[in-house]
Amino acid sequence: MRIRRVLVLIAGAIVVAVAAIVGWMVFQPGPYAFAKGSPVDLAAYKGRPPTGVPPELAHADAATRGEYLIRMADCEACHTAKGGSRFAGGRPFVLPFGTIYTPNLTPDPDTGIGKWSDAQFLNAVHKGIAPDGSHYYPAFPYASYTMLTDADVLAIKAYLFSLKPVHQANRPNTFGFPVNQRWLMAIWARLFNPDHRFRPVEGQSEAWNRGAYLVEAAGHCGECHTPRNLLQALDQRRKFAGGVAEGWNAYNISTDRNDGIGDWPPDDLAVYLAAGHAKGRGVASGPMGEAVALSLAHLTKSDIAAIVTYLRSVPAMASGLPKAAGPAPATPKLANIDNPVGKRLFEGNCVGCHAWTGAGAAADHARLTGLRSVNDPSAANVVQIILNGRGKPGTPKPYMPSFARSYSDAEIAAVANYITARFGSTPSKVTPADVAAFRKEN
Amino acid sequence: MDLKINGANHQVDVPDDMPLLWVIRDVLGMTGTKFGCGIAQCGACTVHVDGIAIRSCQLPVGTVGGRAITTIEGIGDTSAGAKIQKAWIELEVIQCGYCQPGQIMSAAALLAANPQPDDDAIDAAMAGNLCRCGTYVRIREGIKHAARA
Repeated sequence: MRIRRVLVLIAGAIVVAVAAIVGWMVFQPGPYAFAKGSPVDLAAYKGRPPTGVPPELAHADAATRGEYLIRMADCEACHTAKGGSRFAGGRPFVLPFGTIYTPNLTPDPDTGIGKWSDAQFLNAVHKGIAPDGSHYYPAFPYASYTMLTDADVLAIKAYLFSLKPVHQANRPNTFGFPVNQRWLMAIWARLFNPDHRFRPVEGQSEAWNRGAYLVEAAGHCGECHTPRNLLQALDQRRKFAGGVAEGWNAYNISTDRNDGIGDWPPDDLAVYLAAGHAKGRGVASGPMGEAVALSLAHLTKSDIAAIVTYLRSVPAMASGLPKAAGPAPATPKLANIDNPVGKRLFEGNCVGCHAWTGAGAAADHARLTGLRSVNDPSAANVVQIILNGRGKPGTPKPYMPSFARSYSDAEIAAVANYITARFGSTPSKVTPADVAAFRKEN
Repeated sequence: MDLKINGANHQVDVPDDMPLLWVIRDVLGMTGTKFGCGIAQCGACTVHVDGIAIRSCQLPVGTVGGRAITTIEGIGDTSAGAKIQKAWIELEVIQCGYCQPGQIMSAAALLAANPQPDDDAIDAAMAGNLCRCGTYVRIREGIKHAARA
C-alpha cells in the first residue's frame, strides 16, 4: 500500500512537472509584447494601416501589389528548388528527424494549388491546415503568417494564380516516427499558433507598426533569428537572440551592443538589408543572402526604414558571443598559429581577395576582420561560405567561388580554423566530421 | 566614369558593376592583363590599385574610385617593376608566358612593399598566382635577383 502511494505521488509529481514545462513554453509573451502601448484590432487602429503595400504603391495595379506582397512574405526562397521553376516547390529542408520538401504553389490543378478556393488558401496560411484537413509542419511559418490580413493573403493568392502552372508533383517528407504523425501538428498548432491577425499597437509610431507587420507577420524574421524551444516553437522570451537556418547560424539581431545589432547605426542596417552589405559588416550570405535577394532588396525605402525602426526597438538579449577581434597583421607568419595546412590553403585560395590583413584586398566585400561569422567560435558560417560560395561570377553582386568540390573535409576544417585563429577573437576547432555534417545540410 | 590608369586619365561609359578586367581589356583595349579563371583563383588578371596587387576579374569598376590603377603596360615605369622585368629577362623566367603579366604584377607589389623578401614572404605574396608551366622556382629566383639589383 505504501509503495503504491509513493508511486502515485511520483507519477503525480512528474505530470505536474511536465505540465509546468509545457505551460512555460506555451504561455509566453507574443512576438511584440515588449512594446509599450495597447494592441488594438486593425479596424480600431487610428493611424495609417500598417498592412498591405506601402504608400508608394497605393495606386499601383493589382499585379504589382500582389508581387510586392509575395516579396514581403518571401515565399519564393523556400518554394523554389535549386535550378527549378519559381514557386514550383521541391526545395529540401534537412531537419534532425528527416527531410521535408516544399510544395508546389503554382496554379497547376493537379500538383499545385489550382483548385484551391480562397477559404482553403486562407486556412492554409493562417491555420496551417491543407484543403484535405491535414496539418502542415511548422517548417511552414504559418504561426507568423497568421498575422497577415485576409486581403494581403488573398492578394498573394491572386499573384500565384497569375503564374504559369507548372506540373510538378510534391515530394513526401522522410520523417520517421513519431514526427511522421501529422495529427500531432494539430496539437502543436493549438499550442503555438495564436491564429489571430496583426494587432497594431496604439502608442507606437506608424513606422514602428508597419515595421512590426513587415518583420513579424510577412518577413517572419524570428523563424530563423529566434531560438526554438523543445517543442520547436519560437522562444519569445529569447526573442531574436539567434537561431539556426540550414546549418548557418542566424545571428542575434536583438539590440544587444556586442552580440546583436545594437551598435549598428540605422543607416548601416538599412543599407545591409536593402543591398546585402554594409561597410565593415560583411555580406549577407546563405539563407540571409536569399532573403535580401528575393525579398528585402525589392522593398521600398519607407518599408526598409520601418523595419529598421522596429528592429531598433527590440530589447537587448545577450547570447554569449565573444567580442570581435581588431585588425590583423599584414605579415603572413604568425607564431601563435600552428596550422600549416590551413595557412597553405589560405595563401593559395583566399589571400588574393581577402588579403593577409583580412581587410579585403581592394573591396570591403572581402573583409574578414570584425565580422560576426569570423568571431563565432563555432565557425559554422565560415565553413558554410567556403563550401557554398556566394553569388555568380560576372555579376555585379559580391562573388566567392565554392570550394566544396576542390578540397577535402580535413582541408576545409583546417582553413576555417586558420581563418578564425588569424582574424577572429576565438580560434575554432572544426573537425573533418563537422565539415562532412555541414555538407549534408545543403 | 573616370579612371586613372598608368598615370593617364581615361573616361569610360560602363556599368558600375563591370569587373575592372573587362574595362581594361575590352573597353580600353589594354590586353596585357590576362583573363584566366574569372573567379580570382589563378592570378592572371592581377593589377595594382594604389600599389596593392588585386585580382581585377573580381573587382567591380565602380569601387575603384579615384585610386591609381597600374597594369602590366605601366609597371616598367615603377622602380620595383623595372627591376622585376630586368630580372625576368636576365634569368629567362618565362616559359609560355600567359600567367606572367600577373606574376610580374604580384612580384612588383611585393618588392615595392618589402625590398628584401625571404622565401616565406615570396611564397605568401605569390601563392595566388598559378603557372601551368611550373616556373615557380625561376620566379622565386627572379624576385631575389631583382632584390639584389
